[in-house]
Amino acid sequence: MSRVLRLLRTVFLVDILSGLGVTLRLYFSRKVTVPYPEKVQAPAPRFRGLPRLFRDEAGEPLCIACKLCQKSCGTNCFDIEGRKAEGVRHMRPVKFDWTLERCSFCGFCVEVCPTSAIRFSPEFRLTGVRRDGLVFHLDEMYLTGDALQEHLCGGCRRAT
Amino acid sequence: MELREYDLNMGPQHPSTHGVLRLKLAVDNEVVLGVEPVLGYLHRGMEKLWESLTFTQVVPLTDRLDYIASLSNNLGYCLAVEKLAGIEVPKRARYIRVVLAELQRLASHLAWVGFMANDIGAMSVLLYAFEAREHVLDIFEEYCGARLTVHGIRIGGAVRDLDAPLASRIRAVLEKIPERLEDVRALLDENRIWKERTVGVGRISAADAIDYGLTGPPLRASGVAWDMRKDLPYSSYDDFDFDVPLGANGDVYDRYLVRLEEICQSIRIVRQALEGLPEGDPRAKMPRVLKIAPGEVFHTIEAPKGVLGFTVRSNGSDKPERVKMKSPSFINLQALDHMCRGNLFSDVIGILGSLDIVLGEIDK
Amino acid sequence: MTPFVADVLIPVGKIVAVILYPMVMVVVMIWLERRVVALMQLRLGPNRVGFQGLAQPVADAVKLFFKEDIRQRRADKLLFNISPILVMASSLLAFCFLPLGEPVRIGAYTLTLWIAESPVGLLIVLGLSSISVFGVIFGGWAANSKYPLMGALRSVVQVLSYEIPLGLTVLTVAFLARSMDLVEIVRRQEASGVWYGFLMPVSFVVFWISAVAETNRAPFDLPEAESELVAGYHTEYSGMKFAYFYMAEYAHMVLVSSLVVNLFFGGWLAPFPSVKALDFLDVVPGFLWYLIKIMFFLYLYVWIRATFPRYRFDSLIRLVWKWLIPLALANVLVVILVRFLR
Repeated sequence: MSRVLRLLRTVFLVDILSGLGVTLRLYFSRKVTVPYPEKVQAPAPRFRGLPRLFRDEAGEPLCIACKLCQKSCGTNCFDIEGRKAEGVRHMRPVKFDWTLERCSFCGFCVEVCPTSAIRFSPEFRLTGVRRDGLVFHLDEMYLTGDALQEHLCGGCRRAT
Repeated sequence: MELREYDLNMGPQHPSTHGVLRLKLAVDNEVVLGVEPVLGYLHRGMEKLWESLTFTQVVPLTDRLDYIASLSNNLGYCLAVEKLAGIEVPKRARYIRVVLAELQRLASHLAWVGFMANDIGAMSVLLYAFEAREHVLDIFEEYCGARLTVHGIRIGGAVRDLDAPLASRIRAVLEKIPERLEDVRALLDENRIWKERTVGVGRISAADAIDYGLTGPPLRASGVAWDMRKDLPYSSYDDFDFDVPLGANGDVYDRYLVRLEEICQSIRIVRQALEGLPEGDPRAKMPRVLKIAPGEVFHTIEAPKGVLGFTVRSNGSDKPERVKMKSPSFINLQALDHMCRGNLFSDVIGILGSLDIVLGEIDK
Repeated sequence: MTPFVADVLIPVGKIVAVILYPMVMVVVMIWLERRVVALMQLRLGPNRVGFQGLAQPVADAVKLFFKEDIRQRRADKLLFNISPILVMASSLLAFCFLPLGEPVRIGAYTLTLWIAESPVGLLIVLGLSSISVFGVIFGGWAANSKYPLMGALRSVVQVLSYEIPLGLTVLTVAFLARSMDLVEIVRRQEASGVWYGFLMPVSFVVFWISAVAETNRAPFDLPEAESELVAGYHTEYSGMKFAYFYMAEYAHMVLVSSLVVNLFFGGWLAPFPSVKALDFLDVVPGFLWYLIKIMFFLYLYVWIRATFPRYRFDSLIRLVWKWLIPLALANVLVVILVRFLR
């Protein structure tokens, strides 16, 4: 009986028609495209975007120039120099050069930082038109949003 | 009439070679007489680079080997280092690793079926498979922040704990994937055109498969029941109940069926792992600087593409002296010549697709 | 109606219309194909260039127009240049014989919605559309490169083989209608009340499969398979010449759809003419019915493309010689027998 059934299925193009049915059903189903850039899907909270330096609630920088991030980085992104000023409790960085060119977004610097000064941000628009946009000096390490885009590509694109 | 034979070059840039692979084909009108792959276009000097990095710094770079299934590479390397250093991985960490690895297997096979179908002409399957894969990648993003170069498995365990909300999200994703898979199966499984292109094509017998060193789904499709997860279990795989699908003919169609069935089995394993997740730490206590006494170890795992092996040799310092990676795609590619002989030129694409190679791990 | 208008202006107008009609359909098809295939694949497709992406074909045309016209050093110049023209011309010429609707009365003058009516119109249309084979051969050969040559050879064999079942099924229609005049065939379908597609479903299915293969469309598009031979016989073409091949393929699709509609689905006739309750459908002019039916078949083309994998070349040829041609022959015999017994 199954031979006859198989013959009938072949003659009446059952597999062809069922395939057509699948595409027709999905033709009428909801589309999954997100209309970027009008609608931007916010990345997950733990998303590994551009590493940024952060300040505490008082506005003081959290980085104490311990250079643990520099040691843990496998691709030599960091170049840090610190100095301890008189009467101040911690060292502060005087030079903090970080290059996006080498970063593999592995997260070792974030995991190892004792003060959570360097953390991932949700920034994922990281393209630019100039090589020097990829190097961040100390002040530039705090840039996010439009200011970051300005640094990366000279204002050729909005952040939002 | 004289039969002509000439060389055809499927250059490094080709829509279907799954990466920068060059294939030199000797073709007689339409019939393939021989295939010679030329490799090295994606060589990045990984193994040499690793000698100048510490053991932990190597882990994110292993992501970039088989970039479709990065967690498997992480797992392979971490298991080898743990074996060398004698690190005991807590049970909870082992279960989390199983969840991650099987989700990654699912994602890898979905990507494979999409690319394979696209090469044969069924373009829509690519998008359906990738839509399903998106859900898995969203899980990875929520778990540790990255979708492709995941770096979620570390030496000693997993990067963080799998809490209850994430576990329920994973269960929800596991409900969605079979629906999409049914659509793919309806479009391909019984389709006469698909069967014409894949049944009987690229056949390799079990004996030849073993001779060539094939592993993974191509080996199992030829009927050889060898799966590292069953035969040399690692990371608590022996706690789980799952089947290893086997094929009968060793052709492209069997490899396709084996991989689709493996997706279903992976879903089964993840459900069991989430169900039985034990209490404990997600990661063993690791010293700040990992120095390993001199020794050498070779450890293999069942990556989605085949058996992935890492040889790690240490010399007492915090950097490995030598890391050698035995990639399944590299070995499987050897059999391409054997499989393609006597088939038509259009079949080369299908056969190459069915081997599921990724140039990142071939060229390192 | 002065003789000048009747003898010069109107024919020239019709010629312009006959050139414009497939071109407009081509433009619509480019958009339709990309949009419909995308929607079937859970994505949106071009929706930014103009309202809902309707200006996308214009953008494509402008882009192709500005592309560098690459010519190979050792390419045969004459054949290289003539091949796109041949392919395009063969598609467009056949439109002269396709009737689009009932003749329209304007005062004392009857405006026929076709340029030419010939007692062997069907044969001429088939013959003209076959000239495109030459364009394919010339294109593949003249590019002086392995891939296009292989694509051209495959395409030629495919087209020649699938002409046979095409001709055989068309024979059954001509047999039933007792004429090879396309207008007459539509009139006979009107007279008989049942369209030939429902009377002879086997003919229709075989014709449709052969037609899809003739136009080198999926699942028979191996000669131009993107993932296998880069782009087959038009690999080496760029810019406007490539645009010609591209447009000619769509024009050929429209031609074939028109043929199917005329031969099997009543041309410009409204469906169910005998059912009194549906008489309101007569309000819609014949030309619009014709368009609706053609759009259905164009949708079918795109739908099939989005769904199925590609036939390998030998399967393709095996299909036609082992299955379609015997089936078409048997079909002819059955039709003749049934007619004879009636």
